Amino acid sequence: MSKFQERATANKWSSMSGKKPPSMGDIFRTTFLIVISLIILAPVLWFVLSSFKDVTDLSSRPPKILPTHWAFSNYTEAFKMYNYKRYFTNSVFVTSVATVLTLTINSMAAYAFAKYNFRGRDGLFVLTLAMIMIPLQVILIPIYLVVANLGLVNTYWGMIIPAAATPTGVFILRQYMLTIPDELIEAARIDGAGEFRIFARIVLPLCRPALAVVAIFSILWRWNDFLWPLLIAQKEELYTLPVALALLNGQLVVPYNIVLAMSVMSIIPVLFMFVFMQRQIIQGIAQTGIK
Amino acid sequence: MPYLFVAPNMFIFITFIIWPAIRGFQISFFDSIDGRTFTPVGAGNYRTIFADPTVASVAKNTATYVIFYVLISTFLATALALVVNEQKFAKGFFRAIIFLPVMLSPIVVGLIWNDVLDRKVGPLNSLLQALGGGSPGWLVEPKLGMIAVIFVGVWVHIGFYSIILLAGLQGIDRSLLEAASMDGATRAQIIRTIILPLLKPTTLVIIILSTIHGFQSFDFIYTLTGGGPLGATTLIVQYIYDSAFQTPIQYGLGSAAGVVLFMIIFAFTALNFLVGKKREAI
Repeated sequence: MSKFQERATANKWSSMSGKKPPSMGDIFRTTFLIVISLIILAPVLWFVLSSFKDVTDLSSRPPKILPTHWAFSNYTEAFKMYNYKRYFTNSVFVTSVATVLTLTINSMAAYAFAKYNFRGRDGLFVLTLAMIMIPLQVILIPIYLVVANLGLVNTYWGMIIPAAATPTGVFILRQYMLTIPDELIEAARIDGAGEFRIFARIVLPLCRPALAVVAIFSILWRWNDFLWPLLIAQKEELYTLPVALALLNGQLVVPYNIVLAMSVMSIIPVLFMFVFMQRQIIQGIAQTGIK
Repeated sequence: MPYLFVAPNMFIFITFIIWPAIRGFQISFFDSIDGRTFTPVGAGNYRTIFADPTVASVAKNTATYVIFYVLISTFLATALALVVNEQKFAKGFFRAIIFLPVMLSPIVVGLIWNDVLDRKVGPLNSLLQALGGGSPGWLVEPKLGMIAVIFVGVWVHIGFYSIILLAGLQGIDRSLLEAASMDGATRAQIIRTIILPLLKPTTLVIIILSTIHGFQSFDFIYTLTGGGPLGATTLIVQYIYDSAFQTPIQYGLGSAAGVVLFMIIFAFTALNFLVGKKREAI
């Protein structure tokens, strides 16, 4: 699209939305945003189109925008001739079990920090937050040696447990729990409810919005996570999708047209989540500054 | 009872963060190629880090990447946030598009741009050729490789920073802006003298966050350039990873590099905390 055409479309679009004719500023802004959107969308679209090309199309010079014939076989072969189903199942399993575990232990810790007075509470809370300062990247080697000593390399638990305790999850949930009135908990106690029952039956249901934010972040992060499963999953049958895509592509085990199809399939679940939960995701990020 | 509630979380922190962090510090004073036998070398690994030419080039790559990544991200994210904030038409749509790359798997992002930037069959070069340009080897020449990595780094994260800045912009009191515009201030004047100064604390957060992210970059580079061409885009995290998983295996040296990276990240996180405190005080 030429600059002139972009301007023309931008102009038409903005004038449709407002009653006043668009100002120079409106036109300039819309043009700018359209250019940025193209820079973001075009490569993704190109990649998706490539995933429907056969080997001949993929190596043609100059490259063709549309496939000569749509090679849906790239997708079916990913399942039939390569282990795509396995990687997908691994990703789903690790993501869901890890998210459930994260929600459970993070909310438990958050509850103690928000609603109990105990010796060392503030110290432990600060310690929890301080964990943000030690990202995986800086302890890559010692943590690998530790999990290896514990026999967790090449196990699902090795992929799931070590990263399940998240400082940000505890923080978000604690802030939310602080808003729950203490009287509610006191009343339940007088009625004779046990501590764990109060937590599970009264506090957790009230925290649904905060739990949702933590769950969304956990799912996104686990689904796309690469470095941690790369350390732990060294056997092909344990590969999650990102590990499989990176390693199989690098080692040329899987032909490129199949890698393309696998990649496109691997981003679909996340895109779905984004479409339906965009507001929560964007708000969560704006409020916490985490990703 | 409260101890029981914090126990699982704390157990994981201690076993998988605190203990490894202590071990990493210890190991950084040893040599080991198998993770079982350790030979003490004193501060030898740290001397190597500050003297070895390979590490020097990794440090140079990392510094180049972080500086440009931070500058471009901050500038572009601020511009985007300002524009989106003012946008009347399809605001939500544009915001969603800008945010989209944040959601994608970095591994897939690397594959996408590896495809787009391919020297021979990539669409970018055929576009350039159609416009009469050459066909630069984006992922083949060291300098261009670094440019590609910086560009893709910005491409991935720009939406993340824009969203935070957008929230900062929405926190600015509208009556201030209206008063200024009634006094006859132009848009440019309002942005320069009112909006940007008020946005400064958020901008500072973005600078610090992007610095931390920059130092941690690893995954999209893995599938984009793999650290090449000729090691030109090998950054510190890949160097640490390679020291444990590529021959020659050097657990001690890698751990020492980890300690150095920790110091850098610690400094910026502490800075972020101080800025946050100050922001609350205002």
